Amino acid sequence: MQPLANVTPLKPPARAGAIEVKNVGQVFKTRSQDVVALEDVSLDIKPGRFVVLVGPSGCGKSTLLMMMAGLRQQTSGTITISGAPIPQPDPDRVGVVFQEASLFPWLTAEDNVEFPLALRGVPKAERRAKAQDALTLVGLDGFGKRHPHELSGGMKQRVSIARGLVQDPPVLLMDEPFAALDEQTRMTMGDELLRIWAATGKTVVFVTHSLTEAVYLADEVIVMSARPGRIVDHLQVQLPRPRTYEMLSGDAFGSLRDRIWRHIRKSA
Amino acid sequence: MSAKMTAKKMTAKISAKTLRYLIVVGLIALWELLPRTALIPELFLPSLSSTLMAGWTEAPEYGHALAVTLYEVLISMAFACGGGILLGAIVGSLPRPRVLIMPMVSSLYAVPLVILYPVFTVWLGIGSESKIAFASIYGFLPTMLATAAGIQTIDPQLLLAARSMGATLSQRLVRVIIPAAIPTVLSGLRVGGALVIVGVVVSEMLISSAGIGYLISRYRTILDSPHVFAGVLLVLFMAIAFNAAIRWIERKAAIWQTGTRAGQANDDIASGAMQPAS
Repeated sequence: MQPLANVTPLKPPARAGAIEVKNVGQVFKTRSQDVVALEDVSLDIKPGRFVVLVGPSGCGKSTLLMMMAGLRQQTSGTITISGAPIPQPDPDRVGVVFQEASLFPWLTAEDNVEFPLALRGVPKAERRAKAQDALTLVGLDGFGKRHPHELSGGMKQRVSIARGLVQDPPVLLMDEPFAALDEQTRMTMGDELLRIWAATGKTVVFVTHSLTEAVYLADEVIVMSARPGRIVDHLQVQLPRPRTYEMLSGDAFGSLRDRIWRHIRKSA
Repeated sequence: MSAKMTAKKMTAKISAKTLRYLIVVGLIALWELLPRTALIPELFLPSLSSTLMAGWTEAPEYGHALAVTLYEVLISMAFACGGGILLGAIVGSLPRPRVLIMPMVSSLYAVPLVILYPVFTVWLGIGSESKIAFASIYGFLPTMLATAAGIQTIDPQLLLAARSMGATLSQRLVRVIIPAAIPTVLSGLRVGGALVIVGVVVSEMLISSAGIGYLISRYRTILDSPHVFAGVLLVLFMAIAFNAAIRWIERKAAIWQTGTRAGQANDDIASGAMQPAS
């Protein structure tokens, strides 16, 4: 859509799954005043990384995610996914997982997973096969015929992840996907997500409120401040993988979590 | 544990159903026995057998009346449901008409519209047209209100999710908005359709020359109770058939709602609302 992307010849071809955010700003215009939601946000996410966005409520982390998904346009700056701007949602490049409420309650699990394929007129047999693969990947083999109200919270979220992955996009964006789950399910789902991530090699951008979840899952944690939303810290989490429950009580884990918390306490 | 619970639920359900049948059978038996034993005079309540007999001997007359009433009901339902869904969808999805129209429609809903019926007969005559006009408007309001509410209350997360998967506007309408609104629209149709039957029969009883309502009214003036009750019975069957049809559609279209309390509550409210129609 933006011709500029095509006339920058010196730029090396970006690998699939790279996310570049450059000087992005977002201003919401209300009747009385303009609210600056994001100010001069720049980010460079390499393919295959697991990046977590944290910050106090209203810091614009979900807004940033929505812009990466093409669901909202930034007021200034540029965002590219796999080297090209994203003026509208493109499920071939970006899969999005929302909170659990976003499954269609009138469709079965497999019809939910097939939904993005059905939108583009993929033949039924191919749809079904891809949905089966995606459901198997998330550990829901044999649950395809159930409706969402017949599934537990964790299972619903597995279906959402399968739906985000069914078109095999290199990037998976997740907006507080486990926020509605109880603590134990949340831990299990975190491990499951890491397993799926390791198996598929996707770039994951994950928004959460939970600092423990952030450090446990991430390669990199990006900490944002509120009003206007800015990046205040960018941590590399060097803990070895696979991550284990024992790490949660280790010193390395604790100091990372404390560092994030100090930022958030300051800006909240 | 869950198997045990479902088994328990099943027995509770079955016994409730059996109980319901027993109550109906009991009422039918009382209907036959009370007048026969002269505990209630035949003028107030003719026995079931004499009611059926009255209906049977005048079968052609009742058949013709039923045809007229059914015709009026079907046309009115098409107007009430079609118009109600269409206007409800527009009002529900656009904020400006919603602010303008909804308060008016809600207050209009509280007015006993039957006071307008004599005006309709002046405009449209005492034939089917005035009944259709009256019943259409009568059933239109709840259908429209329910459709507007159904569209308004769609979870915005669902629409956002559809958009993130690349759904166009028309795909969002067909694949998200319509299926999401179906349960609420159906509950509106239930009330709206029941009111259409009420509207047609009541207007036939007031000023008319044909239809079941007219027969009931005419036989009442000559104190012919068995014939009055034969007409009542026909209206009752019509209401039951309508209820069964809606249930069937609900089962087909809104399977995902089963197991929620909303579906059950709609049932109860609707069957309550049907009572005045009989």
